[in-house]
Amino acid sequence: MGGKPQAYPRLRRRPDNIATILCQFFADFGKAMAKGDLFVKLTLIWWGAGCLRRKQYAKALILTLLEAGVIWFTCGFAMAYVPKFATLGTVQAQQVFNMQTMQSEWNDYDNSFMILLFSLFSFVVWAAALVLCMKSVIGAYRLQFDSQNGLHINSFREDLQEYLDQKFHITLLSLPVLGIVIFTLIPILLLILVAFTNYDQQHMPPTNLFRWVGLTNFATLFGGGITSTFGYAFWRILGWTLVWSFFATLTNYFGGILMSLLINSKLTRGGKLWRTLLVVTIAVPQFVSLLLMRNFFANTGIMNTLCERIGLTAALRSAGLISTSYIPFLSAPGWAHVMIILINIWVGVPYQMLIATGVLMNLPSDQLESARMDGANPFQIFRAITMPYMLQVTGPALVTDFVKNFNNFNVIYLLTQGVYVTTNQLMANSQAKEVDLLVTWLFTLTQDYYNYKMASVIGIMVFVVCAVFTLIGFNFMLRGDKEGTYQ
Amino acid sequence: MKKLITLILAAVMALSLAAYGSAPAAADQQTISLTLWGAEEDQALLARLVEKFKAQYPDQTFDIQIGVESESTAKDTVLTDIEAAADVYAFANDQLNDLVAAGALLNLSGDVSAVLPNFVGKTLDEILAENGEGSVTACKSGENVYAFPMSGGNNYFLYYDSSKISAEQAQSFDTLLDAAKAAGGKVGMTYASGWYNASFFLGAGFVADMKDDGTTYIDWNGTSATGYTGVDVAKGMSDIAVHPAFLAVADGDLSNQIASGAVCAVISGTWDAGACQTAFGDGYAATKLPTFTCGGDQVQMSCFSGFKLMGVNAYSKNSGWAVLLAQFLTNEESQAARFAERQLAPTNLKAAADDAVSSNIAIAASAAQDVFGSVQNVGGKYWDPTATFGQMVATGELNGKDDAAIQAALDTLVEGVCAPVE
Repeated sequence: MGGKPQAYPRLRRRPDNIATILCQFFADFGKAMAKGDLFVKLTLIWWGAGCLRRKQYAKALILTLLEAGVIWFTCGFAMAYVPKFATLGTVQAQQVFNMQTMQSEWNDYDNSFMILLFSLFSFVVWAAALVLCMKSVIGAYRLQFDSQNGLHINSFREDLQEYLDQKFHITLLSLPVLGIVIFTLIPILLLILVAFTNYDQQHMPPTNLFRWVGLTNFATLFGGGITSTFGYAFWRILGWTLVWSFFATLTNYFGGILMSLLINSKLTRGGKLWRTLLVVTIAVPQFVSLLLMRNFFANTGIMNTLCERIGLTAALRSAGLISTSYIPFLSAPGWAHVMIILINIWVGVPYQMLIATGVLMNLPSDQLESARMDGANPFQIFRAITMPYMLQVTGPALVTDFVKNFNNFNVIYLLTQGVYVTTNQLMANSQAKEVDLLVTWLFTLTQDYYNYKMASVIGIMVFVVCAVFTLIGFNFMLRGDKEGTYQ
Repeated sequence: MKKLITLILAAVMALSLAAYGSAPAAADQQTISLTLWGAEEDQALLARLVEKFKAQYPDQTFDIQIGVESESTAKDTVLTDIEAAADVYAFANDQLNDLVAAGALLNLSGDVSAVLPNFVGKTLDEILAENGEGSVTACKSGENVYAFPMSGGNNYFLYYDSSKISAEQAQSFDTLLDAAKAAGGKVGMTYASGWYNASFFLGAGFVADMKDDGTTYIDWNGTSATGYTGVDVAKGMSDIAVHPAFLAVADGDLSNQIASGAVCAVISGTWDAGACQTAFGDGYAATKLPTFTCGGDQVQMSCFSGFKLMGVNAYSKNSGWAVLLAQFLTNEESQAARFAERQLAPTNLKAAADDAVSSNIAIAASAAQDVFGSVQNVGGKYWDPTATFGQMVATGELNGKDDAAIQAALDTLVEGVCAPVE
């Protein structure tokens, strides 16, 4: 074979999405297994084999140690839990009191939750080991190709240099990715798995075992069962959550824009003062403001006392709008819904105003000038120029805000905890309130009733709805060349 | 070199022989380590009591750590990780059922009860018999005992301002309300809580109990053992609620209402004794709950008796010693010390007979009301539906004149409370 040594064949352009990366990975592996020599095939069993053959001793040693580590992990740790994964434990805890030592003695009991958690952890480790094994095979084939074509094979020092140079992104990202896998991915997977078990107050480890129940919990949530009221509560709470997210996002968004236009308008005096005052409200912790507002509007709070003094309460009662001796700002269904949205405006508008101010500063002024010269009134300018520009720039943020409000736990919980008692008996039978979001309902189920399985199912539903809205929203917002449309 | 190695080997052999030789003796003197959880206000008291306990067994070495855990939140903390929770902890009796279901409390009626005759000289039954009957019932789940009674008086009764309301007028809810109206004050009570509004139903002879499978059982939509219907009781509740002198207070808001001076009579417990004393001044008085009009008769309001108990963790290693510690911290001397320091009503009959205890107005009222009370034994599904029912009556959403609506609401209430856990 003469001529210049060929480079290792690669795709023309770098893969830019997950599907292509995965296809490339499996294609490489397939090629390596098909065309590799004995040592490449041996790498499947002993990861260091390929490197050893091409005299990369340090790398072979590291890979061998890693493989030994995985095997030791499997035999010593995983084997204690994974075989029980299908049943989630069968041995009930039993205790015997020993009068001689004055101590309790336990049998070797199963802890369902530990089995679930550590099995999941083992699966993740094994998945990582599998990827590492396949990468070693691909690497071994690469070495074989290089040595057959007379290309340079890296020494260990050169390999390290590569990880500090061309492959620095891998070095830099390894720790954060590890953190995400351990602290985010594994807990999320664990909680998704709990949704398919019957882990609740009657089945709490270590004393009780829980087991797989398949899709029973989902059936309960969507209205199965004769006396089940979870279904009744779920659709109503979902409806309110959507309504709340919609109004909360929209009112804050437009409120912020209008406030920003008002403050920056040439007709307003002391614009800086107003802006400072509004920004100061952001500095007060939301927690504190919301709790104070709740006491403010409670049944026996200041607002009610005022209304009673000026006769508003009596007027409303004679008009038939209320049936109690106080105005139920935060304790009756319709009133509480409206009040929560209004208080949220008060809490959220200053922040949106700042964002809007920043965006509006970049509004092309020549367009505004020409529009004004053409005789357009302020409202027409707002509708035709300002709003499209704002939407184009902050569109994605609007979608993100919607999803954030979907899970806005603070506002709902802090404003209604302790003051709102539902009078809808069917809602009460599922531990829900008319003003609950899915996430606050989830919190009540977990905190007060230890109903982890239903809470997990609700959590999955929240994720599905948020994901759907995010995908639709982003697709809608980013479709086409927006810049051109705007012009 | 050889000499050095020989020397080292000899030294090692000698050390190992010495260690082996002393090992059996050391095994007798193993340190018994225990963890104890108590309320923050109790820490100093518990430290003193623990020293007394250690002094009782001078030939044992103890390592007792005391941690802070409020009795009202003990269940949550223990159930988060039972194996890591304290060996001995105090909790409120309404948490007993949940803790037993989760296996967090040691069954004191089991084999471990043998340590009591050996070390304290009394059997478990004898120890329990020294306490009031209600407190003993509160410690049991089924036939087995799971804790020792520590303090009582966690029920509710009537505080009133005697300068505005006479003792006679405080006997019946109707006269109480009229007297309050004449004096320009209000009578406060929490309706929107299953803990308080059970007093009406239980007083009329209905039951609130728990079945073996963990579901709650109430019969409030039917006819009670004494012949009243649920509709009668609901109408009685509604008549009180629509009276202009009645103030329906949100759950947990009673202390605020007392402090603000809005009420001249309130239904609350011993925890509000201080606040009532400040608000009512010289007129501070307390008595058992009044009677209310039910089906034309005057029916005495009942209550849920509340106690604080001390239990042993089922997963405790040194369970024998933990049981002895729990028993010591709840015996007569300890209960008397607890009353002296924190005015917590003792459950021990001898300690409660003390003059200082009976002269405490709030505790006396609590004891007087306890005669009509019953131990709380309900499951998790009891609370939300009963709170909703109480709120419906308090806000007037449930019309006191509409029998059919009341019956329907009661039916839904019972359905919700008695539903199986899903």
